Amino acid sequence: MSVTAQDVPGGPGVTGADAPQGPMLTVEHLSMYFDGIVAVDDVSFGAERGRITGIIGPNGAGKTTVFNCITGFYRPSVGRIALDHEGGSFLLERMEGFRIARDAGVGRTFQNIRLFPRMTVLENLLVAQHTKLMRASAFSIAGLLGLKRFRDAEDAAVEVARGWLARLGLIPLADREAGTLAHGIQRKIEIARAMCSEPKLLCLDEPAAGLNPRESEELNRLLLGIRSDYGTGILLIEHDMSVVMKISDHVVVLDHGAKIAEGTPEAVRHDPAVIRAYLGEEEGLPEVVAGDIAADTKGEGS
Amino acid sequence: MTRGTADWGAMIRESGIAALVALVLALPLAGVRLSDGGGTGLELRPWWVVIAVAAVFAGRFVLGLWLGMRGRGGSGAVPWFDRAVTRMTPHKTLLLAVFFVAVAILPLTPLADRRTVDLTTLVMIYVMLGWGLNIVVGLAGLLDLGYVAFYAVGAYSYTLLAIHFDLGFWTCLPLAGAFAALFGVLLGFPVLRLRGDYLAIVTLGFGEMIRIILINWSSLTGGSEGITRIPAPSLFGLQFTANPGAGETAFHQFFGLGFAGIHKLMFLYYIILVLALITHLFSERIRRLPVGRAWEALREDEIASRALGLNPVMIKLSAFGLGAMFAGLAGSFFATRQGFINPSSFTFIESAIILSIVVLGGMGSQVGVICAAIVLILLPELARDFAEFRMLLFGGAMVLIMIWRPRGLLAHRAPSVRLGDRGSGAAQGGGP
Repeated sequence: MSVTAQDVPGGPGVTGADAPQGPMLTVEHLSMYFDGIVAVDDVSFGAERGRITGIIGPNGAGKTTVFNCITGFYRPSVGRIALDHEGGSFLLERMEGFRIARDAGVGRTFQNIRLFPRMTVLENLLVAQHTKLMRASAFSIAGLLGLKRFRDAEDAAVEVARGWLARLGLIPLADREAGTLAHGIQRKIEIARAMCSEPKLLCLDEPAAGLNPRESEELNRLLLGIRSDYGTGILLIEHDMSVVMKISDHVVVLDHGAKIAEGTPEAVRHDPAVIRAYLGEEEGLPEVVAGDIAADTKGEGS
Repeated sequence: MTRGTADWGAMIRESGIAALVALVLALPLAGVRLSDGGGTGLELRPWWVVIAVAAVFAGRFVLGLWLGMRGRGGSGAVPWFDRAVTRMTPHKTLLLAVFFVAVAILPLTPLADRRTVDLTTLVMIYVMLGWGLNIVVGLAGLLDLGYVAFYAVGAYSYTLLAIHFDLGFWTCLPLAGAFAALFGVLLGFPVLRLRGDYLAIVTLGFGEMIRIILINWSSLTGGSEGITRIPAPSLFGLQFTANPGAGETAFHQFFGLGFAGIHKLMFLYYIILVLALITHLFSERIRRLPVGRAWEALREDEIASRALGLNPVMIKLSAFGLGAMFAGLAGSFFATRQGFINPSSFTFIESAIILSIVVLGGMGSQVGVICAAIVLILLPELARDFAEFRMLLFGGAMVLIMIWRPRGLLAHRAPSVRLGDRGSGAAQGGGP
């Protein structure tokens, strides 16, 4: 197995309390059973702030299940999911979904986009800033009275949204109903919406699904930009090797619910176990296949 | 499109099918009648059936001709109505203001007889209820079929407080609102996890429960006989009675007017106008606040809302509570206006009518609720002369509206905030 330098952060005390280094997210021995079916089997990995961690694997490998455990949509059967950042330390497996988003600062997007279709783009981005605005509106009382304190907070929130729309070049679409926009644009807005909630960890579930090559390229730039400008840790599920390989700093490979490899994109690409998982067990193929995958990911940055 | 004999054939066939349906319906409905003479004899009325069937046949045929002449008009949309709505939408606030002013001066005009004032008051009660339910159904997307329960809670809390604790209307009004809101939250708790149809069934059950409790708890509520002699509200201590009790002043004495029953009606009219106005301003405002946007977000996609850190429990409960509060306020007004309440005022049909007002008006639309309330409340009242056909007219109107405007009369949704309205620079707090 080619588990490289970043070894499984298993032992106790690995996650330093407020050290900026070390993994921000630590997943340990995560397992998830559905009525006896093992969807995720003893998976451990970490994700760091300011880095992009890719989770790849064939269909049904358990990627989305891992995601749903981290973001609180499922309660894991076994395992520990710890998140450490300036805002505090959290054990995500014990928290309710909305608290993970609100208190622990985990943002996420969905495989099949989930915008609020009948609300405008701007409103979508403002809903993401709900917690902040709710506090400023003193649970609606300051808002009902139209106090300056609330108006200022709302103006600030609109400016945050405007900033994201400007970054994506979507200012002209701000007042359009989100459901009427093109698929690729909705994807970008969903990421911007998640970022408006100021997450420390951003979880993206197949963000490149259904995008054309140009849009996919834009997405890569957007994610690299988020990483460098905001220092957000990004956890990325992807089906499409070419995307993950280009932008990930670290890749975790799942197959049949278990982790089969972990390491840099370069190391993972040549890992025989990964190649087997993706392309079956035929004898004598690995060399050719490795070449194929390499060709698939040519033009990889850095 | 070639329009030849085949077209005629199709039209005759369709008219024939319609006539057949009419025949099936008319046989039991119009063709047979229990004879009056105290016995149990049946009177057969074949001519009624013939007339009904012929009318339906002819009607369907004419309709077919008309549709044929218009060319296949598509999904039955009404273009002029759409255009009018689009043109009116930017001036919505102005329209509403004009409407409110018109309603406000109505009782002072010569038009205002007892009946007009009374009817308008009734319509306004339903407008207020519609706006209240709009928070729950239109904004938060929680289908509530038991809304009348909160109306009942408001009515009974005012009545009981006023009678047992001798509190005035103005003291009881906020209390009734608070009680209803409390009930809203209590109902909200068990149904938090339910959505759509299931929620509708449970709320329907809750509405019936309240009504049955009111019937059976006779020691407190007077059972199905209800409670009479509910005190009327006063205007800063001025009573609206012909002969006020000792130490009290009546309205007509204070202003040196002759006593007139309509004074009280007009006073009630203005109370409900103010209450409705408050409901309107409140819901327009709260829709633009974070909590209002959270309601809509939850309606649109609960899972995405959770992923953004919205607490569904608090958001749903606040919608239930606030919606119920307005029903409670309307309920206590209803009690004081009637002077008498009993559980039969709070049956399921009331919930259904309020919900129809919201749905027909267009979910979430404030003006739509007014239009729908006028259609659904005023029409049956005006059609009282055709007592037998009242519900038929009511049903017909609903069917027509749903065919022409499947998303409600006014389904337009104005964004709660627009980037376009806020210049381009840094914060220019011009928005609402």
